[in-house]
Amino acid sequence: MSIAAIADLDEAQVAQVRAAHPGVFSTPWGTVKRWAPLSIAVIYVLVSMWYFEFGRLFDASDRVWALLRNFVVWRDMDTWAYRQIYVGISQTLAMAFLGTLLGTLGSLFIGFLAAKNVMPIRIVRQIVRRFLDILRGIDQLVWGLVFVRAVGLGPLAGVLAIFVSDLGTLSKLYSEAIENIDRKQVEGIRSTGAGPLAVIRYGYLPQVLPVFISQSLYFWESNTRSATILGIVGAGGIGMIIIERFRASLYDQVAFVVLNILVLIFAIDWLSKRIRLWAVGEKAH
Amino acid sequence: MSDIPFTGRAGPEASEQGAVAIFERHRAELRASRRVWNILGLAAFAICVALSINISGFFPERLATGVPRIAEYFATIMPDLSWDVLFAGRTEDGRAVAGSITYWYTDFWTYIELLWETILMAMTASLIGSAVAFVLSFPAAANLAPNGWVYWFSRRFLELCRGIPEILLALIFVFMIGIGPLAGVIAIAIHTAGALGKLFAEVNENASERPVEGITAVGGSWPAKMLYGVVPQVAPNFFSYAILRFEINVRASSIIGFVGAGGIGQELNRVISFYSDDRVAAVLILVVLMVTVIDLISENIRHRFIGKENF
Amino acid sequence: MLKLERLTRRFGDNTAVAAATLEIPDGQMVGIIGRSGAGKSTLLRLLNRLIDPSDGHILFGDKDIAQLKGRELRRWRSDCAMIFQQFNLVGRLDVITNVLTGRLYELPAWRAMGQIFTPRERAFAIEALDRLGMAHTALQKAETLSGGQQQRVAIARALAQEPKILLADEPIASLDPMNAKIVMDALRSINQQDGITVICNLHTLDTARNYCDRIIGMQGGRIVFDGTPDLLTTDMAREIYGAEADEAFNEAATSTTLPPRKSPANEGAVHV
Repeated sequence: MSIAAIADLDEAQVAQVRAAHPGVFSTPWGTVKRWAPLSIAVIYVLVSMWYFEFGRLFDASDRVWALLRNFVVWRDMDTWAYRQIYVGISQTLAMAFLGTLLGTLGSLFIGFLAAKNVMPIRIVRQIVRRFLDILRGIDQLVWGLVFVRAVGLGPLAGVLAIFVSDLGTLSKLYSEAIENIDRKQVEGIRSTGAGPLAVIRYGYLPQVLPVFISQSLYFWESNTRSATILGIVGAGGIGMIIIERFRASLYDQVAFVVLNILVLIFAIDWLSKRIRLWAVGEKAH
Repeated sequence: MSDIPFTGRAGPEASEQGAVAIFERHRAELRASRRVWNILGLAAFAICVALSINISGFFPERLATGVPRIAEYFATIMPDLSWDVLFAGRTEDGRAVAGSITYWYTDFWTYIELLWETILMAMTASLIGSAVAFVLSFPAAANLAPNGWVYWFSRRFLELCRGIPEILLALIFVFMIGIGPLAGVIAIAIHTAGALGKLFAEVNENASERPVEGITAVGGSWPAKMLYGVVPQVAPNFFSYAILRFEINVRASSIIGFVGAGGIGQELNRVISFYSDDRVAAVLILVVLMVTVIDLISENIRHRFIGKENF
Repeated sequence: MLKLERLTRRFGDNTAVAAATLEIPDGQMVGIIGRSGAGKSTLLRLLNRLIDPSDGHILFGDKDIAQLKGRELRRWRSDCAMIFQQFNLVGRLDVITNVLTGRLYELPAWRAMGQIFTPRERAFAIEALDRLGMAHTALQKAETLSGGQQQRVAIARALAQEPKILLADEPIASLDPMNAKIVMDALRSINQQDGITVICNLHTLDTARNYCDRIIGMQGGRIVFDGTPDLLTTDMAREIYGAEADEAFNEAATSTTLPPRKSPANEGAVHV
């Protein structure tokens, strides 16, 4: 039976098809199941918006305008403490760079310890992994606070905070990358009679180095962003300056600093993309 | 690069020497040109390292004095528990016994309430942020955007959302609408929209164009092309990334309170900055537990989703 | 009646289709042949505006297809269905939903976005699948089907559009001979039973000869042959394909015909 036009289809034929192919047609229960997840999510969001008093967003409109106006109208620009600002920014950059570097080096070592195919002893792996969980569970900002108590105010605390929190995450990522390698390549190297160091150099590294480099560069950019706020807890960088200016209602200076930071982050983003291309292209050999 | 000539006529040694010599010459040329860039790169890197060490004061002396203090600090925040009263309850007049867990966690229910608020904040922010990211990920995908302007604006908007640190956003919102979890939710939602939007857009750009062409050919509109042609391909990936983001947002929610934007962060800041006693460990342990549990649950859900189909 | 007037498409310096002029009456089955790069695919995609023309007109009735925009363009695409060499189905959706996407133009936006189809539409889609012998796969995911099955689903999708014209861009190029025959039989019977104009790009001569009322040969973007199959001599064919005179140009080498089986029941044949 060939029906060329849908208009030609009459009720009896529809019923016939329905009887022959029940699964194709929607059922009440089927419709409920289909729409349930989305509906629940929407209802949850609406309820929580009520719970969190989203209405207050509208009450705040005049303060918002005041704030926005101050962000764009810059006053008394020659009185701003530029030296202080740029010292703060250079501290932020230094903290992010050094912290990421140390975190990468440390994770290279610990990553291998947590990988199934390199560390066969289960206990060691589990201990390392729990340790990393703790490092990761505590946020970078909290580590900043802790290190400020320990080594005092200033960027040193920031470097340590970035180092420790990166250690937690990067080690896990590295160990997963190591576990996901292609064993055949390693076996190939081993079968030539190479010693363990050579096996790592030629069997593991070429496969995992692209991932390592890629992740580290991503973290460098991310750490630059989080380094700007470590200053809030006194761990060096531009964060403290931002907070001070903010609390003193000098919003134009806040905007200025934030703009500088955004420019830097875009620059680092670009730079990390170039480095990734250069390094991964190279390491393909 | 010139071809390596095939000199089949000469004897085996002669042709080998010819081919090897040419290869060696090419190899030396290549290495020479790369060497210059490598040296420059390494020099730049070394300068950066030196500068960073200088600026941040990462000197051995400071580390030597500092590291033992870290251990001291951890000692101060550890609780003083004694075995004999570890599980003792409260006395008749409602006071807790020093040395017991009850005493250590005197403010337990306060913490739980705040942790619950933290999780809710993360969920709401993740849902709202994911929705915005989902919608914007299509115009922000180079192969799918209806025209160049829409693409440019979507990308820049997403970058803006992602570029501003969450705490800074939270500060601004605290100023605008007052202290409380609302500021935190909005700040995290905005950042989530930016971060997820970029990720989603990249997934979209890697999707196959064939189904999209199919929907174009039947006369579907642009939204229909996205929904029928792209979404079925990318949905599992989207869910996976969104749930991962929820994990990260739980962490973010737990510290956004440092600037008054709700959650356990305010309490954490208070105990670390003002008290510096065993309450620090109390709160930290709960936070780490919460984060670990959520990580496990989310990993579970994500693994189930890789196999499961939706839509 | 579909009229092409000096239809041209250039890509930079390269002219993919040069001043094509054709008249295709309704209900004809046309096969376009030529070697790769001759412009067959470009010509077909110009017809449903997947590619825009550089010059010339495409007239269907009194409308110039080349000028259509927005909703009008979408309506034209709905009227002018296309099937592709790689099927272009949505792999993760089930077969029935794939066929139902053929009706997307007709649906109001809310139903299209919500994937809400009426029972009539679903029944119509099943009927279309049934014509191609694929109704039993309705609830399977499209990517689980074989190539020949997917192409049949694609044809069902085209039928669901209730098209006036059916374009087929190398529909059997990725299929084995058995499935190729099924697909071409289906196209032929759609053409004969429903009176739908069918225009297909084919890269095998005897397929064109066996199935089409009219053959158009393209070479270097130009139409170099236009006539009935019996007018297509081997010399003409050789010229279209640009074969060297001293190369053994054996038609059988490009054939997809299977020698007929002795048994009466033809396996896999679909009675459309």
